[in-house]
Amino acid sequence: MSLGVEEVRRIAELARLRISAREETTFASQLSEIVDYIDQLREFDGGTASQDDTHAATETADSDLPRPASAADGALLDQFLDNAPASLDRFLLVPQVKATPGGEE
Amino acid sequence: MQAMTAEGLAAAIRSGERNAVDAVEAAFARIDEVDASVGAFLELWRDEAAERAADIDRRRDEGSPLGPLAGVPTALKDNMSLAGHELNCGSRILAGYRAPYTAGAVERLVAADAVPVGRVNMDEFAMGSSCENSALATTRNPWHPAMAPGGSSGGSAAAVAAAEAPLALGSDTGGSIRQPAAFCGVVGVTPTYGRVSRYGLVAFASSLDQIGPLARNVRDAALALGAIAGPDPRDSTCSEEPACDFLERIEDGIEGVKVGTIREVGTSALESDAARGFEQALETLARCGAELVEVSVPLVEAAVATYYVLANSEASANLARFDGSRYGHRAAGARSLAEMYTGSRSEGFGPEVKRRIILGTFALSSGYYDAYYGRAARIAGALRQQFSEAFDQAELLVTPTSPSGAFQLGERVDDPLAMYLSDVFTTPTSLAGIPGISVPCGLDSRGLPLGLQILAAPFAEGTALRAARAFERETGFECRPEAVP
Repeated sequence: MSLGVEEVRRIAELARLRISAREETTFASQLSEIVDYIDQLREFDGGTASQDDTHAATETADSDLPRPASAADGALLDQFLDNAPASLDRFLLVPQVKATPGGEE
Repeated sequence: MQAMTAEGLAAAIRSGERNAVDAVEAAFARIDEVDASVGAFLELWRDEAAERAADIDRRRDEGSPLGPLAGVPTALKDNMSLAGHELNCGSRILAGYRAPYTAGAVERLVAADAVPVGRVNMDEFAMGSSCENSALATTRNPWHPAMAPGGSSGGSAAAVAAAEAPLALGSDTGGSIRQPAAFCGVVGVTPTYGRVSRYGLVAFASSLDQIGPLARNVRDAALALGAIAGPDPRDSTCSEEPACDFLERIEDGIEGVKVGTIREVGTSALESDAARGFEQALETLARCGAELVEVSVPLVEAAVATYYVLANSEASANLARFDGSRYGHRAAGARSLAEMYTGSRSEGFGPEVKRRIILGTFALSSGYYDAYYGRAARIAGALRQQFSEAFDQAELLVTPTSPSGAFQLGERVDDPLAMYLSDVFTTPTSLAGIPGISVPCGLDSRGLPLGLQILAAPFAEGTALRAARAFERETGFECRPEAVP
């Protein structure tokens, strides 16, 4: 199937990406080609393997057990906060959830 | 010093014949000499490496036992955490990010007394097959400066091929260790899914990502894999399978071992040089005593399409965390949270990452989920079953690593599908979660290396390494790239 410019814009919005008009056109053509290629999967019978069976050739059943509790290291939190673009006390600082009319933060 | 193997160097340092400090100095001297033309390294950790090396020498002089990688300079791909150091994942969106902790595999590497010397280039978020999607640097193939080093672990492969470090760690989601190893004439090992901890590795597609070593020979790769493998409670997908000594039986050869070719792996995808290289590789395996058989894994033909649906679906979810709120790039002047998310992501991600996020979001979106993600997931499950049956008939399977030797920088950047199709031989095993090794199998008519891919059943890396070692002994291949003598 082919993806139109509208479709690409809609999906980009879902993924919280803004793309330029030129990128929309390029992506629409490239992604259409890729999706066309992927559409060949219709010809392959996936058999009876269950969908949750995609993960890991390994046995990970044991890992469903919770690991022992241990105290968090406060120093690690400081290092995480050092990476934050903005923080206040020990909290991340972000713009408000809804834009204020008039554009003031 | 640069010509020494990791194994030889570590032994010399343990015995006191050499000092780790000198080994590390020699590595930096070599990097200073050649990296301007190779472009593998993004950052060097000179002071810390020198301190670590001095500590190794001191401990030896005090009579303490040293680890199996004592003093071995090692390059880390730019997606693995080393506490206190910057980590960019080849992306502008992580500019300035400093890892607060060390990755599990890197911890083990350091516990084995290897010395991390710096971080090396990669395709942004490991998405690519040529390193050209890096937002940070251009890496060139040490065999020819106009050629791509492969990707996404192109920096790791180039650094090792150019003898800037005897060892590097890479990560592989659909061929990102094996393909650059083949392009650069080195050995690359993608272990079984779960064999090596991914704690501290930036996630691309969590059901596929694996960390593994790249080295100039099979024994060094085996030594490094033994050092980094083993359980880690901080990665819930990491297997309980204990680490083992992959060198123990590595010289035992493959006399009488059944080695299968896969009927459905079309030679039509192969360039003529690569086809000839593979034919010769099969003859070499036969000379090593392998019994060649043919097996059937019909769904390998669906692997590239399946892979690009699953990997990108997972990527679209994994990369949702890069939104400017906790770390990395934040767009300036956003008036709302949503604006900050969209602005930061749009400014921070490069075109290939955006393309893949859009593709993955599409495959997971309402109305398309069953037709794309659901179908791909079912096919991947069936493919794993087919591989399992194939391993009842042959202990090992072999394919070419890539349809050709290295392609030119710039040749495929505008054609993402052509780039994806170069992963035709590596994606099937990633989907199946089985181990794969790329071992050099000679040069093409342009003088560029070709790789043979050796596959084994889950956790049978030892058998694959044994075959790779027998193959290497028989071919006598040496990694001597002309562009960086």
